Amino acid sequence: MRMRYRFRVAMREPTTLIGVVMAILFAYLIIVPIISILLDSVQTQFGDERRTGTETGGWTSYYLIRTFASPIAGIMFWKPLWNTLSVAFSAIVISVLVGGVLAWLVSRTDMFARRWFATALIVPYMLPAWTFALAWTTLFKNRTVGGQQGWLEAIGITPPDWLAYGRVPITIILALHYTPFIILLFGSALRRFDSQLEDSARILGARRGRIAWLIILPLMKPALISAVVLIFAKCLGEFGVAYVLGLPVNFDVLATSLYRNIGSRQTGVAGVLAGAIMILGILTLLVDAWLVREARRYVTVGSKGSMNRLSRLGRWRLPATGLAGLFFVFAVALPVLTLFLSTIMRVPARFAMDNFTLDFWIGRNLDTVALRQGILLTPDFWRAAWNTVWIVGTASIASGILGLLVGYAVVRTPFRPLAAFLRQVTFFPYLVPGIAFAAAYLSLFAVARGPVPALYGTTAILILALMADQMPYASRAGLSAMMQLGKEPEEAAQVAGAGWSRRMRQIVVPIQKGSLVTGILLPFISGIKGLSLFVILAVPSTDVLTTYSLRLVDYNYTQAANAVVLMVAGLALFGTLAAQKLTKTNLAEGLGG
Amino acid sequence: MPGISLAKVQKSYGAYRAVTDLDLEVKDGEFLCLLGPSGCGKTTTLRMIAGLENLSGGSLSVGERVMDCPDKAVFVAPEKRGMGLVFQSYALWPHLTIEQNTEFGLKLRKMTKSERQKRTTEVMEALGIEEFRDRLPSQLSGGQQQRVALARMLAVNPDVLLLDEPLSNLDARLRLEMRAELKRIHAAFGTTIVFVTHDQWEAMTLADTIAVMNDGTLQQLGTPDDIYERPANRFVAEFVGSPPINILDFGKSGESGGIVQRARDYLAQHHPQIAGAGSVGIRPEAIALVEGEAALAPGAFGAPVQVTGVLPTGGSWIVEVQAEGQAMFINTHVAPAVRTGDKRWLEVPPRALSVFDAAGSRIATADALLSRSAA
Ligand SMILES: Nc1ncnc2c1ncn2[C@@H]1O[C@H](COP(=O)(O)OP(=O)(O)OP(=O)(O)O)[C@@H](O)[C@H]1O
Ligand SMILES: [Mg+2]
Repeated sequence: MRMRYRFRVAMREPTTLIGVVMAILFAYLIIVPIISILLDSVQTQFGDERRTGTETGGWTSYYLIRTFASPIAGIMFWKPLWNTLSVAFSAIVISVLVGGVLAWLVSRTDMFARRWFATALIVPYMLPAWTFALAWTTLFKNRTVGGQQGWLEAIGITPPDWLAYGRVPITIILALHYTPFIILLFGSALRRFDSQLEDSARILGARRGRIAWLIILPLMKPALISAVVLIFAKCLGEFGVAYVLGLPVNFDVLATSLYRNIGSRQTGVAGVLAGAIMILGILTLLVDAWLVREARRYVTVGSKGSMNRLSRLGRWRLPATGLAGLFFVFAVALPVLTLFLSTIMRVPARFAMDNFTLDFWIGRNLDTVALRQGILLTPDFWRAAWNTVWIVGTASIASGILGLLVGYAVVRTPFRPLAAFLRQVTFFPYLVPGIAFAAAYLSLFAVARGPVPALYGTTAILILALMADQMPYASRAGLSAMMQLGKEPEEAAQVAGAGWSRRMRQIVVPIQKGSLVTGILLPFISGIKGLSLFVILAVPSTDVLTTYSLRLVDYNYTQAANAVVLMVAGLALFGTLAAQKLTKTNLAEGLGG
Repeated sequence: MPGISLAKVQKSYGAYRAVTDLDLEVKDGEFLCLLGPSGCGKTTTLRMIAGLENLSGGSLSVGERVMDCPDKAVFVAPEKRGMGLVFQSYALWPHLTIEQNTEFGLKLRKMTKSERQKRTTEVMEALGIEEFRDRLPSQLSGGQQQRVALARMLAVNPDVLLLDEPLSNLDARLRLEMRAELKRIHAAFGTTIVFVTHDQWEAMTLADTIAVMNDGTLQQLGTPDDIYERPANRFVAEFVGSPPINILDFGKSGESGGIVQRARDYLAQHHPQIAGAGSVGIRPEAIALVEGEAALAPGAFGAPVQVTGVLPTGGSWIVEVQAEGQAMFINTHVAPAVRTGDKRWLEVPPRALSVFDAAGSRIATADALLSRSAA
């Protein structure tokens, strides 16, 4: 009786049913692919039978040994791991130093043009990271690699390899790209910081340096930790920069090593690598959760009557502004300008009137081997553009709606375990770097399984993977919107006699319209500039703008590649700015996307 | 109009029991107030009646119809119960105007457009929100929102009206008007009303019957007079009334010659039949100050006290006295002729005593004995 009663209460409305359907859907879209790739790493793959000594599908430790302990383990795993970690740490140190100073300048001082800088200094994060990588090669590329010369080479200075490729540029670029993270997270914590805490220390006789060290820094720790961990997690899956700048000198990171192994059909090893990346990602976020909990215990920032007083910079006001300006020049103006100029110059770095041309944009019958017309006249470009819009658009709309439904089911189902499962499963992709997730999709959907046909090479696999990848943000947005609304407006309609569908149509959806738009727009914009997910799953016919430009890089069509990247960057930048205007959201919330 | 009946109703959230063994009978057309301190389970009870929470045990029926009973696997959805519920937090629909909010329930009923508009306007006028008809809820003050929440439910004229502290955000005058309006609706339509409040005066003035709850259990069900004059236990006695009832606890050994001991002696001498008294309660308005022992009314007992404060409360006065270590309140409607520091005698007429046993329950048999001895 009791069971029947509970069942009846639970099934009275579609809420639980929706929840169950969602749970099954996400189990399939998120958990199954990951299990599939983990299995790949311990089961003999087709064609490897002789090496592993078992049949296809038999258990084997061959791939684990090959990845971690064979003669080639060094170049396949340990070296890339070391590179990944060392690059990530150096990038973090630089961005904390640079970003910390900038954050303080922007949020707590009377620097000139603070408000303008508050947005301008965030721009590097709105652009795809490998925009900078392409700009870098445009400037520094040397004769080690063929194709168009770099600007420095063109004017007769040959940059050494260590400056042109590999660790140094990758580190610098990642640092520039992630500095805005620090500015945003650290800056918002600084803004909430109560000047009275500072004042009371000063009254007790502490000097400025000691105050910063003893009072401000410890209180800022949680924000700092969060930012650092987030950057680290992002670096783990970073593909584009390392691909563009690492390839010429065989500088591999985990993501590129994974990409290579997938490219050479080493499915088993790819499984191990993807698993390793995932585990690192999960560990990182666990450490973060633990550190932040430790640090939050004593933090009470922004209590009642808190004050935020700006420090007067005095004669440092101008130099400080100059510093911020310098960052903007190096992290935004210079790369973008370089890219742009490179697309309208026939010969690199010759600033003469007759060297400028719009041919690479709209020319015809160019004297190149292929791609004999400007990028805007190339059908492939338009196909990629169209693919981008509709693939990313479909995925964003789907995940926005699913996110809201998840939020609804979680808040409203009387069946708590279901709610908990939904929350966790939709959050899970957050722990998995995009490239590993893409590899998991490849592993599951490359061949037909049961009623599901092979999806590799179709747009469906891109849409599904992107959707799943966006679910953490989408479900979080949906959940917080539903929590904020609470259940009472709906209950009021229910008591008034409105059935489920009427309540959805007339109460819930209309109220949530705004957050739905946000929940679709923000993932859409971050999807446009996404690369690592697509690079594994896209084939030429399903190219999106980012993978298309990477293909152009591979073929050494520098100008065309730069032009495409420039357009992606423009879309991402103006899209983000417009979306913020439109939805009045704060940048910091859209982070991570 | 249907009555509501709750039998052995339970509600638990995990291990926490929000409502325990609640037996409650709301008669057809009755105005019942659920009264109790914050967190005692009033809202939970109301939500169970509305069907927004399901029971963990027991059964709930409205009229003849069983609405919710886990043991019989019966559950009727809230939208099918035809009740009206005004939420503690209003729960107005933020995307609909005041008019659309009010009209929503009517749209679900078969009604012509002109009828609907007439009714909407009528209700909005009655509650004084007609002028805001095109505004959104966020553009109204708290009190105005509360009136919209009321209007929304009153518009459909439900058989059973559930109200969760609907007047808490209104100013004093408006609150009086709304009380009158609720009374009028109740009288005109005979609606069965369950009204949740933690304001005892509101309960006293509005209710036919009051149900006092504490910690998820029903403490007493009775008329306002019952609740006030004959509290079922010490919790009810102490919860209802302001200034609070004076409790003389026999457990604490009062100083000899003090009021506690005199009350105990009085009971032992005059009413030896009342066994097991643990404490007595005395309402502040039932006692008075007299010049000395000689001036005590016949049959009454008393004790010497010292005045420690006189507080005017607008039309009445609260006199605080100290009776040998026991602080007591006296409530009077005549300006008291005493000042702080004065020494007087406290006069207690025996029929003013509520006698409780050691566990705090009222010893009902004492009432008759005590009221007779007053003569
Ligand atoms: N969904 C829930 N989960 C767990 N506990 C709950 C839940 N809803 C209510 N409670 C608990 O049940 C108890 C009764 O809550 P209820 O809202 O009925 O109190 P109330 O009498 O209406 O109080 P108030 O006068 O403050 O509105 C409270 O202790 C509350 O914390
Ligand atoms: Mg309540």
